[in-house]
This record gives sequence, C-alpha cells and structure tokens, in this order.
Amino acid sequence: MADNAHGQPQSSGGVQTTGHVWDGDLQEFNNPLPVWWTYTFYVTIVFALVYWVVYPSWPVGKGFLPGINTVTYVNAEGQEESWHWNTRAKLLAETQEANLAQKPYFDKIAAMDFDKVVKDPELSSFVVSAGKVLFSDNCAACHQAGGQGKIGFFPNLTDDDWIYGGHFDKIQETLIKGRRGYMPPFGEALSAAQIDELANYVASLSGIKADAAKAAQGKELFHSHAAACFYCHNDDAKGRQDIGSANLTDKVWLWADVPGAETDAGKVDAVRKVIASGLDKGVMPAWEGRLKPEQIRLLTVYVHELGGGK
Amino acid sequence: MSAASMEANEQYNYDIIKKFAVMAVFWAVIGMFVGVYIASELAWPFLNFDSPYISFGRFRPVHTGGVIFGFGGSALFATSYYVVQRTCQTKLFAPGLATFTFWGWQAIIVLAALSYVTGYSQGREYAEMEWPIDLLILFVWVAYMIVYIGTLMLRKQPHIYVANWFYLSFILATALLHTFNNIAVPVDLFTLKSYSLFSGAQDAMTQWWYGHNAVGFFLTAAFLGMMYYFVPKHAGRPVYSYRLSIVHFWALSFMYMWVGTHHLHWTALPDWASTLGATFSIMLLLPSWGGMINGIMTLSGAWDKLRTDPIMRFMIVALSFYGMSTFEGPLMSLKDVNALSHYTDWTVGHVHSGALGWVAMISFGSLYHMIPRLWNTPMYSVKLINAHFWLATIGVLLYITAMWISGISQGLMWRAFDDFGNLQYSFVESVAAMHPFYAMRAIGGMFYLTGMCLMAYNVYMTIRQAAQATETAGAPAAATA
Repeated sequence: MADNAHGQPQSSGGVQTTGHVWDGDLQEFNNPLPVWWTYTFYVTIVFALVYWVVYPSWPVGKGFLPGINTVTYVNAEGQEESWHWNTRAKLLAETQEANLAQKPYFDKIAAMDFDKVVKDPELSSFVVSAGKVLFSDNCAACHQAGGQGKIGFFPNLTDDDWIYGGHFDKIQETLIKGRRGYMPPFGEALSAAQIDELANYVASLSGIKADAAKAAQGKELFHSHAAACFYCHNDDAKGRQDIGSANLTDKVWLWADVPGAETDAGKVDAVRKVIASGLDKGVMPAWEGRLKPEQIRLLTVYVHELGGGK
Repeated sequence: MSAASMEANEQYNYDIIKKFAVMAVFWAVIGMFVGVYIASELAWPFLNFDSPYISFGRFRPVHTGGVIFGFGGSALFATSYYVVQRTCQTKLFAPGLATFTFWGWQAIIVLAALSYVTGYSQGREYAEMEWPIDLLILFVWVAYMIVYIGTLMLRKQPHIYVANWFYLSFILATALLHTFNNIAVPVDLFTLKSYSLFSGAQDAMTQWWYGHNAVGFFLTAAFLGMMYYFVPKHAGRPVYSYRLSIVHFWALSFMYMWVGTHHLHWTALPDWASTLGATFSIMLLLPSWGGMINGIMTLSGAWDKLRTDPIMRFMIVALSFYGMSTFEGPLMSLKDVNALSHYTDWTVGHVHSGALGWVAMISFGSLYHMIPRLWNTPMYSVKLINAHFWLATIGVLLYITAMWISGISQGLMWRAFDDFGNLQYSFVESVAAMHPFYAMRAIGGMFYLTGMCLMAYNVYMTIRQAAQATETAGAPAAATA
C-alpha cells in the first residue's frame, strides 16, 4: 500500500516531517504556509475592514456602526433626505424613482375616458406592460395567467361572454366592488325527475342532443312558478347582467363542466349537477382599497382588451 | 496484509464501523432515490399523483435528511470511529454507548422520514424533526461525544492527529447548533407540534446560524477530518503542511460561526448582521482553501496513481469540487451577487456541487478505502468503482450546469424590466422557462444514483466474498481441531 517504510519519517525537497507518526505511516511535512495563501487571506481581511467602514456593521451598545455610505430619497413630505446605507432606504429610493417615472402615464389614465386611452398608442402600450404585471400579481391566481379562467371555478375573461357586463364601466364596477355569484340548490325543492327534465332542456338550448320529451317538460318547468328558473335567467334564458345570472343559450359554460364531458349524456349530467347543488362559490373579492383607483382603471382597460370587451 | 488486518480486527472495534458503513451505503441509495424522485416531480409534476404523502414538500426533507444525516452521518460515524481508533491505537471507549449511537441514529433517520411523510415538520431547513426526535438526537449525540472524547483520552500517542481535531470540532459544534436551534415549547406532551422559543427575525437568524453551520461543521469540518486521514493514508504520503492544517483549522472553526446571516440578505434582518455574514464569508475563503491545498499537495506526490486508482480519482475530484464550491459560496454571500442568486436554483446547484461533488465523493473514496480493510478482502470489482466514478462525475456536472443556467435565468427574469419600468416576466413564465433544466437536473441525478447503486452492489458482493472466505478458511481449521 504505502511505498515508504512504516514509521520512517519522510523528507521532501529538504522539508522534514514533524516527527510524529500515527497508524503506522501517517505523517506531516513541516512545510510553511504558502505565501500566496497568506497574502490572499490578508487581502480578504482588508476587504472586510473596508466593507465595515462603508456599510452598517458592528453592533455597539444599543445601536450599530452605520457606515459612511448614504442613500438619498424623497420622504413622504416631499423633502429630500439622506440616510446611512440600509435596505429600507434603498427600497424607498428605488420605488420612488420607479413611481415617478410611471406617474405621467397613470395620471393620464386616471383623467382620460376609457375609449380614449384605448385609442392612444403610447398609453395602450403602457396598459399592456403595467397591466400584465398587475394582472399576474393580483388576478392570475384565479383567472389564470392569460385570463382564460377555469371551468367550474373562475370565468374566462378572453371571450365576449360577460356575466356582469363587458363595458368599461361594468368591468370597473366588478373590480371595485367585487362580485358574488349565487344560485340556490334545487335538489330538495324539486324531484329528481324534474331536475332531469330541466337539465335536458337547458342542455338543448346550447344545441346539445338531449331527450326531446324531457326537454319539452323541462321547458314548461323552467317557465313555471314551481321551479321559477325564469325569475333570474329570464324568459329567453339569456340571463340578466344586472344580477349576474348566466346566459344559458350561448354555449359558454362556467359552472357546468359541459366541455369536459365526452358524451351528450355526460353533458346533460354536468348541467344536472349544477341545478341540483346550486352554487355558492362565485366570489370575486373587492379590489377597492387594495389597488389604487388608477391601477383599477388600468386593469379595467387591460381586461377589456383581453379579447372580449364590449 | 491479511495477517495485519486479522490483528487489526482484534486490536480495534470494527463491528460498529462495519454496521455504520453498510448503513451509509443503504441511506445513500434511499436518499438519492428520493432526491431523483422529487427532481423528477419538478420536471414532470404528474409524478405527485395527487398524493400528499409523496408531494415535493414532504419528500424534500426525506431526501435531505436521508442523504445528510443517513448517508453523511453514518459515513461520519463509521470513519470517525475508524480514524480515532487507528490514530490513537486504542479500542473504542464505552463500546456499549457506541452501539447505542448506531441504533439511536438509525432510529432517528427512520422516525424523521416517517414524520415528514405524515406531515410533521418544524419547518426549519435541515432541522425539520419535531421535538421528540430532537431529544433523541441530543441523547445520541452526547453518547457519541463521550465515546469519541473517551477514546481520544485513551490514546497511546502523545499527539492528537489532525483528522481528530476536525471530527471533534464537528461533534462539539453540532451539539451546540442542534441544541440552540431546537429550543421549542411543545404544545403538550402528547403532540409532536411545538413552537420555537425565538420569533421573527431572531428565529430566522437562529435557524440560519444552525443551517449554515450544519454545512460548515457537519458537511465541511467533519469531511475534512475524513480527508485528512484517508487522503494521506491512501496516497501513502505525509500531509503537505502541518502548519497550514493548524492555521486553517482554527480560522475555519472561528469564521464559520458568523456567516449564517448571509442566507437572510435583503430581508427583515438588520443590515449590520447581514454585513457581518457577508464579510466573514469572504474571510472564510482562504481558510476553506487551506484544506483543499493540503489535500491536493498531499496527493501531488502520487499523481501516477490517478491513472490506475479510481479511489484516488474520487479524492482528487472531491477536493476540486470542495475548492470550487467554497469559492462560489463567498461570492454568493456578497449582497449584490445574492440579490441575483437568492431564492433561485443557483443556490440549489451550489449546495449540490458541495454535497455531490465534495461530501459524497470524499465519502465514496474513504468507504472504498476502508471497506476492504474492515472485511479483510479486496473490493469485489475495481471496474465497478471506476464506472461509479465516471457516472458520479457526469451526474454532478449535469446537475450543477443545469442549476447554474436555470438559477441565473430565474434571477435575471425576475429582475428584468421593460421600457416602462414594469416587470417583463410573470413568475409563472420563469417557471415554464425552467422546465428543460429541471429535466436535465433529474437526468444528472439519475446518473449519480446509478453510480451509487453500482457501489451498493459492489459493497454487497465484497462483504459476501468476505463471508465465503471466512467459511472456507474456517472449515479446515475445524477439521484439524
């Protein structure tokens, strides 16, 4: 294993070992510290010393050495202020700089009519740029990154089907106040056969092949005071945007996973589930107070322009 | 050789070392398998199978616990018991306690893994174990300390060999770190849940004081101890510089204790604490390199063996990765570099260049050196060791390259602004951009795991071969009797 004789101190280029021998043949040369190692070590120490002078470093008493480096920023009263280098001051300075750069755009958006914002090329570019960030941070968690929504949970914002209306003012209202979608469950109020008939009727409105006889029965129920569907969904089943009841004739589905069902029977069944259980999960939070008014206005334009604004 | 080893078997307590060595290999396979699995989950999320038990969040501490404490810990117990006995020329002090450290440590790894999978975690990185397991660790660690220090005191040599300083530093520091980071108040005696005694930024600081020193003392100082015995022993060369070993030992032990706060740059941590963490990290560079220099210069008289001896290759590659990652670390600890690297895969890559490149490679080299001597038989296959070496090297290179690219891309994407000063990318866009690198990382891990499986097979066959040799040697002896 080892070439050298056990226990014999070795030498290398005139350097002796320390004379200690362990485990038969383990020894140590008495080489000095490599010079480059020593000096580089000193350099790192000098680096640290300089760093301590420039930045906040050692705690002293109840405070700490603040360092000679400073950060200048404009405080809440509009006066320029200098502070020893610290991350909070740096954040203040950088956010202020960024806010100042964007202020002219936000000011215009706050003051201009929505349709004029859309027609202004520079403002439109700004809306796309800032809107993407605002949307990603605040909206995408539910409505998904591109605003395409998720069946059974969150509305698609890229089509031209609007539950509460797709005009600028309506979108802004939705953003400011939030929304709460609700449909009562009919599972106990109606018999299973009646719900089945209603499901067939509603499915047939969107061109799904349903049982014609049941659909006819369902149509009658729909317009009766027993089921009272027409109270909310209207006589023409096209819904009412003032209360957020869905249009049942446009082949666009939010709550019933009709597109996800492969067979016609499956599609009818998806509708049946919603009628029986109702829904109480269509909650969109109010953004007033969380976002600034001009940010809400910007998001209004952004969502309007996602594809389906009226 | 054979006669000498037979002697060694009686002279030293090898049984406990054999047990730990086998478990080191076992936990390496398990821990690395789980690592490859969670890496694959990130690349191909369907692998979650919608089960909470195997989700990334629960499997991740199973992976880190399995490789750090299962594999790394068992390898350290095995090699430290081996080194301390051989360099002190004495049997282990309190062999009963040593046996307790074995069963206790293995129980800790199993209990910890089970608790993570069932959803119990303190949520402290590398210290996820809940309080009852923490207490068990404390008992085992005190037993380890007694055995180790007791053995040192029984030494028949006036001087304590350098490897033992490093092991001792690791044992003492780990006791300190583990105790203070896990001071918590249990909700009641019959629940696993507890709350940390510290709160807010102080809690974070305590955790990263622990976290980085787990890296510094568990994964660095201890493995330097391993290096200081097995590298000169295997090369048949004296350690390059006794003086360097002393200076870098004390500098390293002193500096490491300060650097934990560099994990908390740009957070609620006070800026002065952040500065101290960064500057001590910079000053730690050369003390860390002292170990690399001493290792490489020790090997430098035996370059010819690199061509023929895969164990030597493991050692030199380990030292190279050690030097590389201890250069990268101080660099990443600077606030401005950290602003780019923090929370990205760069950190993950950095940890793995240390863990796979340094810690695991030096352990492989040491285990391949030690196992034939423990069982008194040559390794079953040198070719397999060679194959293991290449698979491991390719694996770690793929891994860290993938993480460098993805980490730096992440960092740049997160801070990219467009002409209006708005963020250019949403977070999910950066996630999507990571996919090819996550796949590449998983493949790198698969290479590494495959190498590890070869090692397990090789070790198994070696032990079987040793058992057969004892049987055939035993038979004629019995006949003569």
